[in-house]
Amino acid sequence: MECTWTGNQNKLPNITGYWKKDGNEIDSRLTVPLENEQYNLKGVFDIVGEESLGNYSCVFGSEAKIEFVLAAPQMGEVRDKPIVSYAGDSVVIACKMEEPKPKPSTWHWYKANGTDKALIDAAAEPHRYQIHSEGGKSTLTVRNLTQADAGFYYCGAVYLISTSLGRLEVRVITFLEPLKPFIAIVVEVLVLVAVILLYERKSKKKSITGSQKTKKEKRENSGGEESSSVRQRKV
Amino acid sequence: MAEGPDGGVWAWVMVGALFVSSGFVFGLMRSLGVFFVEFVQYFEESAQAISWITSIAVAAQQFFSPMGAALCNAYDARIVVMTGGCLAGLGFILASQATCLAHLYLTMGVITGLGWGLVFTPMVVSVMGYFTRRSALALGLGFSSIGLSSFIFNPLFQLLVEKYAWRGALLIMGGLSLNIVPCGALIRRQKQSKAPAKVGKLSVFVERPFLTFCAAITLFNAGYFVPYVHLVALSRHVGFSEYQAAFIMSVTGATDILGRVVSGWSAARGCMRMVHILILWTSLTGVFIILLPLSSMSGSYPVLLTVSLLYGFCGGALTSVVFPVVPQIVGVERMMGASGLVQLIESIGGLLGAPLSGFLKDVTGNYLASFVVAGSFLLLGCLILTTLPRFFQCRDPPPSSETFLG
Repeated sequence: MECTWTGNQNKLPNITGYWKKDGNEIDSRLTVPLENEQYNLKGVFDIVGEESLGNYSCVFGSEAKIEFVLAAPQMGEVRDKPIVSYAGDSVVIACKMEEPKPKPSTWHWYKANGTDKALIDAAAEPHRYQIHSEGGKSTLTVRNLTQADAGFYYCGAVYLISTSLGRLEVRVITFLEPLKPFIAIVVEVLVLVAVILLYERKSKKKSITGSQKTKKEKRENSGGEESSSVRQRKV
Repeated sequence: MAEGPDGGVWAWVMVGALFVSSGFVFGLMRSLGVFFVEFVQYFEESAQAISWITSIAVAAQQFFSPMGAALCNAYDARIVVMTGGCLAGLGFILASQATCLAHLYLTMGVITGLGWGLVFTPMVVSVMGYFTRRSALALGLGFSSIGLSSFIFNPLFQLLVEKYAWRGALLIMGGLSLNIVPCGALIRRQKQSKAPAKVGKLSVFVERPFLTFCAAITLFNAGYFVPYVHLVALSRHVGFSEYQAAFIMSVTGATDILGRVVSGWSAARGCMRMVHILILWTSLTGVFIILLPLSSMSGSYPVLLTVSLLYGFCGGALTSVVFPVVPQIVGVERMMGASGLVQLIESIGGLLGAPLSGFLKDVTGNYLASFVVAGSFLLLGCLILTTLPRFFQCRDPPPSSETFLG
């Protein structure tokens, strides 16, 4: 890691520079000369394992501090809302390590057990679990879901230095749940259709009795006309 | 020649029924994208394989339109629409039980599409039977739900999928689609005399004005949908964010609604001939489609947004006047059959247009060619419409007797 500082108003020819990890000084302090209007401090650190990760800072005298965070790549966006599926059905949950980040060497999946995590062994139970990992993506398929399968699952992207985890929630429901609103809607449709057809029958009856009245009137009138024409003919 | 009916209480009830049923047909059609991600993950299929579901549904709606129209002529429009509503709902209900992609093609694709085909054209023609001069306004209002329903259905289906997974969401969608059935129940037999119905109505095929109209409408279809398919990608291509691109689509949808209603209302005033109005809006739509990639190249978001708004308005405006032109070409008696056939023939344009624009983009590397070709299709269609007989007359032929045929 390399830090470059352009200094402040009093451009001292030399300044002390040192490195800190998680707030503690590491290595010995160095005297950093002013070169080309800037101070340059370089540190070389071996990454041996998870202990090597943390917050690093380079400090110039008591004036300037620059912070680095050394960590394993963070898991890409995982669904924060629970993934829902049905008892007896299967569910596919996925984790992704976004493109520019390095791909993990392997993926592991865990099921949460209280505060613990139990590793899922797909090989041991192939009819229940299937893990498909390809580079930066991994999916876990759980078949024949039961209520016991509901809960939190963790995907782990395994790197040499550490494992990045993502958490997903699975909810298992029965078909009765969507069936309730469905039946409510079907009832609403049937009621509407019944109301519309009944209304039409009612208004037809009204117009039939109405037209029967007008027909009667017409017949009376035409009867009158006929008799007058007959009278004319006779004449 | 006395004018036909132009309103009345039941006419506007029917407009309401058209509003609801159009929303459940085309609004649903436009919201199927919500299931896209779910299906890709669950069935582990490619994006292309999943997008065939919507393609099949759209194609089925248009393909079965002539059949729906013919059944209305032979039997009762009410029964046809109610059956169509049941089929549309059944398709989604069966789809909720699907175990493979082929099931979805058959249920969400064919069965629902068939149901939609039995609903749309009969509803449109039934509504038009209540109006003469104001048919464009009636249709404009009736179709305004198409834009509105995307606003409602998209977030609603997101919510349903989150709560009930895609199976439960499809089941409930099936239930909602059944609301088309009461819309069909509202159709009443009208006292208009109908010419003896010829099931099939293939006689219109050999008449040049109808063929001219079909050719023009097919070209419209080839170009019209390209922005809906590619506008988001175009916006992202020139560097705008996902939210900016999504916002453009939302406001285009909003101006689409406005365009339908305003165009329908202004057409009903009767100042201009219906076919002239159609050409006005369609040519403007074509021009704005061509301007879209050019305005995006300017790099200015307000400019692209403005052109998109204008495209949305003009695109919506032309939809209100397409169907009212049909009876002027083939006569009122054959309006039902002809409308069905138009749907079928224009589907060719729709099927070819989007892949063609995709192809042009792949070949040239940007969207300029796709949009310019799409806009040109609309302008070419307008030119073809000018060859209709007696096009340059200033007044519409009186309804139901004279047609373009002479």
